[in-house]
Amino acid sequence: MNKLVVIFGFLVMVGAQWFVPANMIYQQEGALVEGTPYKFKTRPVDPSDPFRGKYIVLNYELSSFAPVDSTLQFNEYVYVYIEEGEDGFAKATEVSPYPLDTEQDFVKAEYQYSYNQRVNFNLPFDRFYMEESKARPAEDAVRDVNRNRDSLSPVCYALVYVKEDVAVLENVFIGETSIQEFVEGLEE
Amino acid sequence: MSLRSEKELRHLVAENVISEDTSKAISDYYASQKKNSPNKLFTLFGVLGGLLIGLGVILILAHNWDDFSRGVKTIWAFAPLVVGQAFAGFALWKKKGPAWKETAAAFLFFAIGASISLVSQIYNIPGSMSSFLLTWILLAAPMVYLLRSHTATLLHLIFATAYACNVGYFNDASPWGYLVLLVWVLPLYYSQLKSHSEANITGIYHWAFGLSVIITLGAFVSGAANFGYVLYILLFGILYNLGKLPFFDHKKVRVNGYLVLGTLGMIYLLMVASFKWIWNERYFKTGDTIDLVFAGALVLITLGILFNLYRKRRLVPFNVFQYVSLLFVLIYAIGHFRTDISIILVNVLTLLLGVSAVRTGAQQGRYGMLNFGMLIITILIACRFFDTQISFVVRGLLFVGIGVGFFVANYLMYKKQIRLKNE
Repeated sequence: MNKLVVIFGFLVMVGAQWFVPANMIYQQEGALVEGTPYKFKTRPVDPSDPFRGKYIVLNYELSSFAPVDSTLQFNEYVYVYIEEGEDGFAKATEVSPYPLDTEQDFVKAEYQYSYNQRVNFNLPFDRFYMEESKARPAEDAVRDVNRNRDSLSPVCYALVYVKEDVAVLENVFIGETSIQEFVEGLEE
Repeated sequence: MSLRSEKELRHLVAENVISEDTSKAISDYYASQKKNSPNKLFTLFGVLGGLLIGLGVILILAHNWDDFSRGVKTIWAFAPLVVGQAFAGFALWKKKGPAWKETAAAFLFFAIGASISLVSQIYNIPGSMSSFLLTWILLAAPMVYLLRSHTATLLHLIFATAYACNVGYFNDASPWGYLVLLVWVLPLYYSQLKSHSEANITGIYHWAFGLSVIITLGAFVSGAANFGYVLYILLFGILYNLGKLPFFDHKKVRVNGYLVLGTLGMIYLLMVASFKWIWNERYFKTGDTIDLVFAGALVLITLGILFNLYRKRRLVPFNVFQYVSLLFVLIYAIGHFRTDISIILVNVLTLLLGVSAVRTGAQQGRYGMLNFGMLIITILIACRFFDTQISFVVRGLLFVGIGVGFFVANYLMYKKQIRLKNE
């Protein structure tokens, strides 16, 4: 092969190999720096990914919305428009199969199904990667918190920064403590 | 040149079979050959080292070092990538040999994976396994041609197969991307066939491509009950006939992956299909549109290869293995009306294959082929014991008979070869 072509091709490849992770970082950082933080109540469990390590899967209380105009046709995604509720946690105010012409923050969620004017969806930020020894205790801790729930016990929630169509899961908290610190506290 | 060959040469000179000069010329020739051939062992260890280090880096990063800040982790995400790229760039720039290029390719391949997985980890980016794999494969794909690396090509193929399985088997969608990824490496495979048809790595490619399509075919189709048999037997038929093309036919069996995979696949499927319960009407469906499209395409490819073989006068003498897949399609079609006839026909067809292998083996004096045929017949009979009501005595006699057959057939062939030698 012509040496110039090889060099050019190599540079393009190297560029692409840098661009993809860098672009991922750029988008996520954009949301973290300029986005609005929201708290989503959650219940985590822990599986494992062969390449990316241990994580906990987060199931959110915010997983459906009603009433929805029954004439709307949902396909793959649901645009969930959110605002901070009186209790300090995120709540949905409207859902739509397409982006609406509004300044309000939204999350692009995966559409599940509709029933009785209620639309069910999965919020996209459902993975929180953790240090491998902490994922399992984290799951156990959260299960205990949720089991013995009363008005005084701490709430488990995810802190998510939202900017345009990027939503970045920054951390998971139990009460005021981050889940890593919570698990480290248990170990001590 | 090996020590043993040198000893042989000295022996030949001593016995006056060759002259001193000829002996020296032979030694010199082998010495020059050795100088020209790259150090394969060095390349192999380099690749192994690259693979292990790359995989190790991924695992170390997967631990998730949560004491480090986002910034520090981000630097770590790019560090292996930079090292891999520097190695690859150096190998290219200095026009280093295959050992360098292969090692760099092996390491850079996993460094790319490490980089995007760590970024996903830092920012908790959800993303499915399949989209993650696809990004990884695409970013590594140029290495196949830029570095002309076999390691990169094989890793590309392995990961493309894993991607197809992830999409098709675990998520129930059709992995069309796999076809694009497969086509991407075909030109390299073709040039390898053209210019290095006898190289070891080319033999590995035959096996790798064959296995990859076998594993992924199921990921495309709906998996509607029995129709899978038709699709797979068509695929195995194609692989078998590919292995019979003049280009492959004279090759050693261990190199001709297509022929081996095709033969074993066909026999296995026929054995399974020879059972009664497979033809139960509950599982007997035609399959979805996509299955039919695939079946049609596979039939066309089969006919195309057979036509090519016909033009090159490769269809004589008649070899029933070459038509098994088309015959099975016919039998399957008959099964829509009369499953009992189909079951009998499958058994007859399998028996026919066994007998034909025995015959070919006997005619060509190939013990392997002869015993392969006997083995097919034995397995078929053993299978029938599970779903037919035959008395123990008859089954026993059948087994004794087939055992005697093994001895007699091998003995007759041995006698025949002795006779031919003496003539």
